Amino acid sequence: MTNQPLKKLAIKYLRGSLEPFEIKFENKRKLTIIYGENGTGKSTICDAFEFIGKGKVGSIEGRGLGKTAPYWASLGKEAQDIYVALESSTDSCSAQIEQSEVIIHPPEFRPKVEILRRSQILSLVEAKPGDRYKVISRFIDVTSIEESEQTLIKLIKQLKDYQKEAIARIEENRTAIENFYSESGETGTDPLGWAETESQYDHNAFAQDLKVIDKLRRQYDYLTNQLERITPIKQEYAVQKQQLDQARARCNEVVQTTVKGSSQLLNLLQAAQHIFEEHPNPSVCPLCESTKKVDGLAFRTAKKIKQFADLDLANQQLKHEEQKFKISQERLKDLRKEVMTAAQVFQKYLDEELISEDISLPENPIPDNINQLNYWLDQTKHLPKKWVDISNQKQDKQKFLAALKRSIQIYQENLQSQQALAKLIPNLEMTQKIIEEERKQFTDTVLSQIAEKVGALYEKIHSGEGLNKISLQLDPKKRASLDINTEFNGNSGVPPQAYFSESHLDTLGLCVFLALAGMEAPDETILVLDDVLASVDEPHVERLIKLIHEEAEQFRHCIITTHYRPWKYKLRWGWVQNGQCQFIELTRWCPTKGISSIHDVSEIQRLKLLLSDSHPDPQLVCAKAGVVLEATLDFLTQLYECRVPRRADNRYTLGDLLPALDKKLKKALRVEILESNDKNGNAIYRSHSLEEIIERLTNIAQARNVFGAHFNTLSFELLESDAIQFGQTVLELTELLIDPERGWPRNNKSGSYWATSEETRRLHPLQRPS
Amino acid sequence: MESPSEQLAKQIIDRLSQEKLLTPERAKRCLPKLAAGTLKTEDWKVEIELSQEAKEETEND
Repeated sequence: MTNQPLKKLAIKYLRGSLEPFEIKFENKRKLTIIYGENGTGKSTICDAFEFIGKGKVGSIEGRGLGKTAPYWASLGKEAQDIYVALESSTDSCSAQIEQSEVIIHPPEFRPKVEILRRSQILSLVEAKPGDRYKVISRFIDVTSIEESEQTLIKLIKQLKDYQKEAIARIEENRTAIENFYSESGETGTDPLGWAETESQYDHNAFAQDLKVIDKLRRQYDYLTNQLERITPIKQEYAVQKQQLDQARARCNEVVQTTVKGSSQLLNLLQAAQHIFEEHPNPSVCPLCESTKKVDGLAFRTAKKIKQFADLDLANQQLKHEEQKFKISQERLKDLRKEVMTAAQVFQKYLDEELISEDISLPENPIPDNINQLNYWLDQTKHLPKKWVDISNQKQDKQKFLAALKRSIQIYQENLQSQQALAKLIPNLEMTQKIIEEERKQFTDTVLSQIAEKVGALYEKIHSGEGLNKISLQLDPKKRASLDINTEFNGNSGVPPQAYFSESHLDTLGLCVFLALAGMEAPDETILVLDDVLASVDEPHVERLIKLIHEEAEQFRHCIITTHYRPWKYKLRWGWVQNGQCQFIELTRWCPTKGISSIHDVSEIQRLKLLLSDSHPDPQLVCAKAGVVLEATLDFLTQLYECRVPRRADNRYTLGDLLPALDKKLKKALRVEILESNDKNGNAIYRSHSLEEIIERLTNIAQARNVFGAHFNTLSFELLESDAIQFGQTVLELTELLIDPERGWPRNNKSGSYWATSEETRRLHPLQRPS
Repeated sequence: MESPSEQLAKQIIDRLSQEKLLTPERAKRCLPKLAAGTLKTEDWKVEIELSQEAKEETEND
């Protein structure tokens, strides 16, 4: 985007531009009026701006053509032949179609164009509220903010639900704690304080006590079990002892019944048998070393041993019983030792462990004599049950306190949560309220600004008609819906479509368009108004033209096309302010040349051109000068309300108008021309009296009728120089009186003179001297 | 040119800062998210809560 003044628009093969066509924009003129009869190519110029600014051609949309792109190019040309270029004082860009897309080179210089066509002028006013919103949404669409606001509303709702839940939980826990309080048998008035104190109780102490009780029970049971194991072992010991005694007795009995000392003999024979197993044929007796009866000695020894078998069996049984008894004896001894060790360990535990006072313990120490242990156990046999009871009590208490602790924890957590929410929620609600307020104020302000601007513009055209109270309102019941209302005949809030005339609606549509275009970077915006004056009625068209002149100032450029012929002549006569205005007249469109224009000049310029000829034509000069002088005198006599003969057709001749300027008025008529400003910025004017010029004109005014009005033989006798002088004097008068840029001095706001805009000319006096 | 949401977001953030509902630092963080419509419920909670805490700290000092 750029805001540089336009220099040139070039169009080639777009719509009616059969041949390349250019518009050169005049320096420092922000308003370009393109005048032409219907079918001269005005809309093609507007299309060119839309093509380069918006990448489309809107003038043929809505005509039942479907896709319009195939019709953008001039007949006989292809889409890719279309070329539009816009040149400014510092940059330029062009638009062409490439692969069905409008491509801008370079894209950063694509101009911002807002275009309003005659066919669209009512589109916004008569649109449905939803469509109207779409057009204005670019100024008021705050969907993103609304999305953020919705999440905030959702959060507030969530937190309020949490808060409700927390309050309910607090009540539940308070009740639970009060129940615990009652269960515990407390009678005070502060269950919460009690619960907090109780919940701080060391739960490890319970665990320790339970551990101690468990260990006491296990050690007591172990000791008891070990002691109980001694009885069968002792019985077995007694049996073994008895069996040993019996084995001994039997052995003795066998020995005595067999032979006295046979036992030793058997031993001797068995020893000899061992030797014979290694030396089966000894040469001598291994005992006495005698050689007698040595033969068959081994055989005879074996035979003898066999005779001692019963004795051997008795001996073996005795040995077996001795072995068994010994084992039984060892087991009993070991068990007794184990029992005493268990007793000692238990006692040591009782002596050394820190045991709560509420746990019952043996009154007497565990005896160190095993024979007294049974008695001790009998004396303490009630203790295990007591330990079970206290263990159960302690476990119940532990569970109770754990539940109480959970309750007080949940109570405190919910209380804290509720307190935090009680602080947070109001802040969130305040935040949401501020967002809502700001959002509404923002959209209301923007809509109000637009409506005020529309109203102000409308008032300039329909001044004093009381139709300027335009309002734009979002429908609160519908999303993205915009109503347009006005005041009509004392009734406010009525839709203008229902009561306004077509002409009034047209101007309202134009005002809405101008107001919206001015809302967004107007200094970058090229405003294109295509034939929008068509339906405006005569009393209002002049005001509308004045309005467009004024509004064009704020935009980068304003193009207006029209076939309103009076505008052409008003411009030609300088009756409308044209200082910033360039006038281009299009001639009839031609099938071979396409669009073409002519340079139009004012009547005064035309007179000047005639006079500047090396051989000016006296007839042409006088004719043109006469018309210009009539226009000038018409202006002055109306301004000063001079007396002229009253006629039905209001047609006055120079003969009527010149004498109407009476002597006092002529003497007082004086024009001040702005020359420059001094160093303090004060305007410096040069003053010119008009009296002498008007006197001269009065003297030679007949030249107009002689040379310029009709065929007159008198002209043969007069000097042509008189005709030229008449023309020059008229030019002198008009150049003093009329600023070619600012027009005629019609403004009397100063209260002491008439002035052009910006007071480049000041005409004195303000009123005709009496 | 700023979008309407961006313009409004600035006005809202200024107002929330004036009302001390957001600290300047938090306000700066919130601005682009608010304008883009990406502030989630958790963001709102954190930003307002932390601003509230900061305000309380300042008042206690």
